[in-house]
Amino acid sequence: MTAAVLPRPVPDGAPSPVRPRPGSAPDDLPTLIGFALAAVLLAVGALPVVDVLFVLTGLLVAVLGRLAGLASPAGSPRRWLPGPAAALAGAALLHAGTGSAVTLLLLTGPVAALAGGAGRRGALAGAAGAALAAMAPGLLTGAPVGLAVPLLATAGAAAAGFAVADLAALQRSRDAELDVATRMLAARARTMTSVIDAVTEQSIIGTDVDGVVRVWNPGAERLLGLPRHEVVRGRSIVDFHLSEELAAAAEAAGTAPGLAALVHAAQENGSDVRDWTYVAADGSRRTVSVAITPRTDDRGEHAGWNFVGTDMTEARATERLKDQFVSLISHELRTPLSSILGYLELVLDEDADPLTDEQRQFLTTVERNAHRLQRLVGDLLFTAQVEAGRFTLQPADVDLAGVVRAAEETARVTAAAGGVELVVAVPDDGLVVRGDAVRLGQACDNLVFNAVKFTPPGGRVTLSLRAGWRAADGRVVDGRVVDDPGSDGEPVAVLSVRDTGVGIPAGEQKELFTRFFRASTARRNAVPGVGLGLTITKAITTAHGGTIEVDSAEGEGTTFTLVLPAAR
Amino acid sequence: MDTGVTPVAPRVLVADDEDDVRGLVDLAVGRAGCTLVASVADGPAALATARAQRPDLAVLDVSMPGSTGLEVCTALRADPATAGVRVLLLSAGASPDDVARGLAAGADAYLAKPFSVAELVRAVRGLSTAPPRTAGSRPTAGLPA
Repeated sequence: MTAAVLPRPVPDGAPSPVRPRPGSAPDDLPTLIGFALAAVLLAVGALPVVDVLFVLTGLLVAVLGRLAGLASPAGSPRRWLPGPAAALAGAALLHAGTGSAVTLLLLTGPVAALAGGAGRRGALAGAAGAALAAMAPGLLTGAPVGLAVPLLATAGAAAAGFAVADLAALQRSRDAELDVATRMLAARARTMTSVIDAVTEQSIIGTDVDGVVRVWNPGAERLLGLPRHEVVRGRSIVDFHLSEELAAAAEAAGTAPGLAALVHAAQENGSDVRDWTYVAADGSRRTVSVAITPRTDDRGEHAGWNFVGTDMTEARATERLKDQFVSLISHELRTPLSSILGYLELVLDEDADPLTDEQRQFLTTVERNAHRLQRLVGDLLFTAQVEAGRFTLQPADVDLAGVVRAAEETARVTAAAGGVELVVAVPDDGLVVRGDAVRLGQACDNLVFNAVKFTPPGGRVTLSLRAGWRAADGRVVDGRVVDDPGSDGEPVAVLSVRDTGVGIPAGEQKELFTRFFRASTARRNAVPGVGLGLTITKAITTAHGGTIEVDSAEGEGTTFTLVLPAAR
Repeated sequence: MDTGVTPVAPRVLVADDEDDVRGLVDLAVGRAGCTLVASVADGPAALATARAQRPDLAVLDVSMPGSTGLEVCTALRADPATAGVRVLLLSAGASPDDVARGLAAGADAYLAKPFSVAELVRAVRGLSTAPPRTAGSRPTAGLPA
């Protein structure tokens, strides 16, 4: 929300536009109408005239009082007072001039006005004025006046005045509350506007349900090169998107092109974050990570969409360059590796002129390290493929028990050399998953070699494979559960690799699957590696629809648990 | 029964711009029992030699100056005189896409670097003794490392 969609903030000290401020002038128009009616009744003879001077004076005083009120300086706190005061006097004079108690009805307006304007004090003043007006014939002309009329007039005026005073007090209280609420809303709107306007590095765009822009912050101005006044209420969010991209998104989501394609995922999931291409006013294109969320109004009704964008153009270009660099370097390393490994193979296999034991030992060391370099190059290339989304699987039924046994066999020599015991527990009858045997073997090898590397001599690495069941809520339980076609769950294979090694600090565990990340325990213990094995393992697991979790305590050991969908 | 005909060793052309790798491939060709027709360092020389010598097998590096191994392979296939030459591509590109591109260019097999000499010897021996390629021939293998 910005100033473009919020009510204009009310300046401090200004009167509320909703209600008159407490103490402002009550409307005395009904009183004037009452006096005009009395004048008509007098003119047609419906009211008796006892004393013409009092009658005329009464009418004149009432009119003058009204005019005096209007003539008071604007903003004067007592601007409302002359009207009702003069009306009381006018009513008293008319009563004296006609001798008719009917004229006392003219007291209603000024009594209410006094009570409304000055509260209970005003009501008391009105009641006193009513008493005087009721006794006016006696006081001004000496005519006999009974007690009944003054008492009734006074009591009626007092009752009406107090009622009006209470109502007016209640009204003033409500007005005050409303005023406070209005000011709070205005202050909140100002705060929101200032916060949104302070965001210059992210674009914040709000639209209505049809995609018409209603909010456009300075970040959006900067990113897309258009000022707020040229966009708000005049342009659609779709105008700033690449039409081909929206068409592709529409086809993928099976929606209509345009806004529907843009907000489809957010509509389905409550929010959506992904890269979109924005087209700026000068035609330049920016890669923007856009978080899309629905916006609701004060009644909770869907009112539009929010688009918060971060310009990722440079970051994405850097990532692409990095991947291209990794790919290029890896590619170029494979050719010299061909020569190294090829000629080593020729020398080591030479039967005609055998090597001495020492020569063979040295060249075997060279060969081992060349293979290590080859694996690193393979890992780098594979990671680049994963990052570029070019990672494909060759699916088949794979017995994971066989994969685990093979991993144990591969790591056996290394484990024995490091004084680490390898223990394997797999189901005798195997456990079949649907997947790529080579990639699953790679993932399993990575976990086992990692565990061996990080376990000091005398430690143990346990590979355990078991059948499990993953419920619809993601929980995994052990054991073969009867496959119920009506159930939302699925059978899974649970592979855990547990070591008694150095462990991983809790604060670093969430970074563990990030490219090139190395735990501090690995660096501290000089464990070789570049931080790609777990990234690759996770990519392979995810590509198989599985999950991988880590449970570790520094100094005690680590357990990686890999859950893969089992073949049904 | 002795037919009196001395078997002729398959004739192989090698093309790779990396001297060391080319030397290794030359050795592998010898170990496979084949005759090395020529060992050249670029695409145009590979194509010219293939047209002149009509080898049984051409072992081509994919990344070569002048024209790539893929281009040489395509040109060989397009010329009826050389369309039957078997082609083994060598490349540092090991992704499934790289292999697919090589086979689509008409290669009979694809070997990703770094390869073992034994593996290369097996591939050369197998391809060089295979019947000449015909229009209906299919790639024998893509052999990524």
